[in-house]
Amino acid sequence: MLRLLARRIAYVALMLGGLVLITFVISNVTPADPAALAAGPDATPDMVATLRQEYGLDRPLPEQFVRYVGDLLHFRLGRSIQSGNEVTDDLARYLPATLELVLLAMGFACVVGIPLGVLSAVRRHSWFDHAIRVLAVSGVALPAFWIALLLQLVLAVWMGWLPTGGQLSIAADPPPVVTGMVLLDALLAGEWATVSDAAAHAVMPAFVLSLPCLASVLRVNRAEMIEVLGSDHVTAARAHGVAPGRVVGLLALKNAMLPTMAMIGLRFGWMLGSTVLVETVFDWPGLGLYAVSSAIASDFKPVMGVTLCIGLLFMLANLLVDLAYGWLDPRTRGA
Amino acid sequence: MHRRNFLLGASGLVAASSLDPAFGFEREGNRRILVFSGNQPVPILDPHQRYDWSTRMMQRCLYDALVRYEGSPAKVIPWLAERWETSEDGRTWTFHLVGNAKFHNGDPLDAEAVRYSFERGLKLNKGISWMLSKHLRPGSVAAVDARTVRFTLEQPYPDFLSFLPLWFVVNPRQVVANAEGEDEGQKWLTNAEAGSGPFRIKRWDGQTVMSLEAVPDYWKGWPMAEADRPAGVIYRVMRESAPRKAALQRGEVDVAAGLTPDDLEQLEKMPGMVVTNDPGAAPFSIMLNTQKGPTADVNFRKALAHAFDYEALITIHKGDAQLMDGPFPPVTAGRIACDMPRQNLELARQYLAKTPTPEGGIELEFLHIAGHEVQRQIGLVLLAALRPLNIKVNLVAQPWPTLIGRGASPETAAAMTAVYVTPVTTSPDTVASQYASSAAGQFWGIHHLRDAEIDRMVAEAAVELDQAKRMATYAAIQRRIVDLQPVIFGMTANQRWALRPYVKGFAHQPLNLTGEVDLFPLFAARA
Repeated sequence: MLRLLARRIAYVALMLGGLVLITFVISNVTPADPAALAAGPDATPDMVATLRQEYGLDRPLPEQFVRYVGDLLHFRLGRSIQSGNEVTDDLARYLPATLELVLLAMGFACVVGIPLGVLSAVRRHSWFDHAIRVLAVSGVALPAFWIALLLQLVLAVWMGWLPTGGQLSIAADPPPVVTGMVLLDALLAGEWATVSDAAAHAVMPAFVLSLPCLASVLRVNRAEMIEVLGSDHVTAARAHGVAPGRVVGLLALKNAMLPTMAMIGLRFGWMLGSTVLVETVFDWPGLGLYAVSSAIASDFKPVMGVTLCIGLLFMLANLLVDLAYGWLDPRTRGA
Repeated sequence: MHRRNFLLGASGLVAASSLDPAFGFEREGNRRILVFSGNQPVPILDPHQRYDWSTRMMQRCLYDALVRYEGSPAKVIPWLAERWETSEDGRTWTFHLVGNAKFHNGDPLDAEAVRYSFERGLKLNKGISWMLSKHLRPGSVAAVDARTVRFTLEQPYPDFLSFLPLWFVVNPRQVVANAEGEDEGQKWLTNAEAGSGPFRIKRWDGQTVMSLEAVPDYWKGWPMAEADRPAGVIYRVMRESAPRKAALQRGEVDVAAGLTPDDLEQLEKMPGMVVTNDPGAAPFSIMLNTQKGPTADVNFRKALAHAFDYEALITIHKGDAQLMDGPFPPVTAGRIACDMPRQNLELARQYLAKTPTPEGGIELEFLHIAGHEVQRQIGLVLLAALRPLNIKVNLVAQPWPTLIGRGASPETAAAMTAVYVTPVTTSPDTVASQYASSAAGQFWGIHHLRDAEIDRMVAEAAVELDQAKRMATYAAIQRRIVDLQPVIFGMTANQRWALRPYVKGFAHQPLNLTGEVDLFPLFAARA
């Protein structure tokens, strides 16, 4: 297990290095001039030069890269040229909101997707199975922004049940910061009105974000369950009179969960990336919104910071899945 | 019908039938809080570092300037300065301050605060400094006494006053106390304020929600009855137009900026909604690359200008736009109406016949901002308009940063680039300078025009104290620009906001930038 852990950590370090190089190159090959943009539309060349110097953009690219890597080793991601803030401070501020959204969406996808996959496999070819498969295909196929706008229209404007966007009502005071996740912090502070307000604001974005993941989890789980339910050891268990609930819940589901877990790990990273769209439509103050605002302004340090942050989280999620694989199935430890 | 249009239409019908007649604004005690929504965040609040529309809107709430623009047409009115005078040589401007202005922390706003603010703005060399950096040197602002400030300009500059509404006064004591090293308080003022304006910060997240509370004893007084004075205003950033419209319909927002023409058209028909419609001041132009390719030939440029379908611009804006009748925007002092090109294919062919490509047979690139639907439609109009001249148009959409990056050099600039240039003041010097050689490389100078006569006239007019002579020079500049046709002059689109009918005090001011609204006079009428 330790060798597996060491090998995977080495991979993560290697991939992170590659990600740093790629994001830096991509950020610097566009013809946009971040200093000119930040200086404003009427800025004189002298004003642009002032900003360029202040942010080290007047240095040769290799030197900028070396400085950037040096800063990274000290856990610094540079400063946003739009706001002047340290990117690490901004990430610390926006990451909890994104994690809150992703965890809610992931939780919902797992809690709903896995049982539906199991039921769909058990009742294979029934009307329920067909309905679930249609739902699964729709969840993957329908564009998130379209579902988001539709939900806003129906649930917010038409029915008036939910707010259109944001993390809290605009006049509401946020709870004392403990984790940075508003819902969790409100729970910890026992501010039940804020809990209710935050939950109402999270429903639509978390649901929209969860749909593709839910569909994938459901499909994979269903397929694996069908395969496992038809395997020899399950047939043998049934022949020995093991209760159907135990066969499905313990024998089959445990085996079917391995690929499902891999899917969840992959989807975690995908979800972090998808927050860009969902957070923009719902004005959720997280990393996605921060990345969009920065990208529009060609503010590359925050964009690179967000990319690295999401990349790192994605790699860590997959590392955990790999370790869980190794723990559940010792045969995979040497792979 | 596109699916999106269908949905928008459906949303309009549904919303129209479900609008709650009850007032939807936020409250604090028995006072109301008005909620404004736009698409642009406010990453830096410091008035000497930045001044785009959303930032300036917030700065105007929190800070005061010596003078301010008011009314339509825009006029400079006294504010912190109750009066001023100019020396005969036009180089010395003396301002006399009101006696009762004070900062939010209670410190008096005196001449030293004004001096410090101007010196800070010039020293930082960011945001607003371009307006005065050529005319004011460090140390040229003096606090004569507590209520008198004197500016000594490098040379006469009659437009000096027109820039002052954008120079806000900060409290030096607070800024110095919160400065880190040599940063002049820049980091602190990113999210904090040291002002004297009608509002102060209650909660600030420049990316999402900015909540301001009213200063009850604002030194200038409030324009509405005391009972109507709002408890505060909130600026809520909503990036997408559709959710912004939904929030307005739902009553979460009282005033919305930046809605699409389709959204505004729907809202206009709904009960319980008011859509403003006032002439704007930001001209839309198609900049022609005057240094490279076929557009370097003035006859070719004139051929394009006479082939373009100008009326289509009005149609695209559903009638809510005015064609440019001269190179200067409507708000600029000294503007004259010129004999502008209008669609005339015969004349266009005559001009084309004088070029090396009399039969056309060439392709031109039209570069516009990606995702900007109006600009894309204008590109399609251009494509259709140039077809009779056997000129193909390649529509290319790129993000704004890329667009201005390409426009910085005539070698990389497209043949035609779509640009809006918003005037920030009434200064004719600023607009005329957009056609001087020094403008090349800036986004308003993507045409890269180089004309010695314009350069000379711009330099002369800027310092001319004889008003009649000065305006005559600006008239000559405008005629010369039309002759050289570095730009296809388009239209100024109307400025439009959607608001709830109980919102009162809304006053159109054409110098407001893009979605900017003066929030100070707004209030919610009682039922």
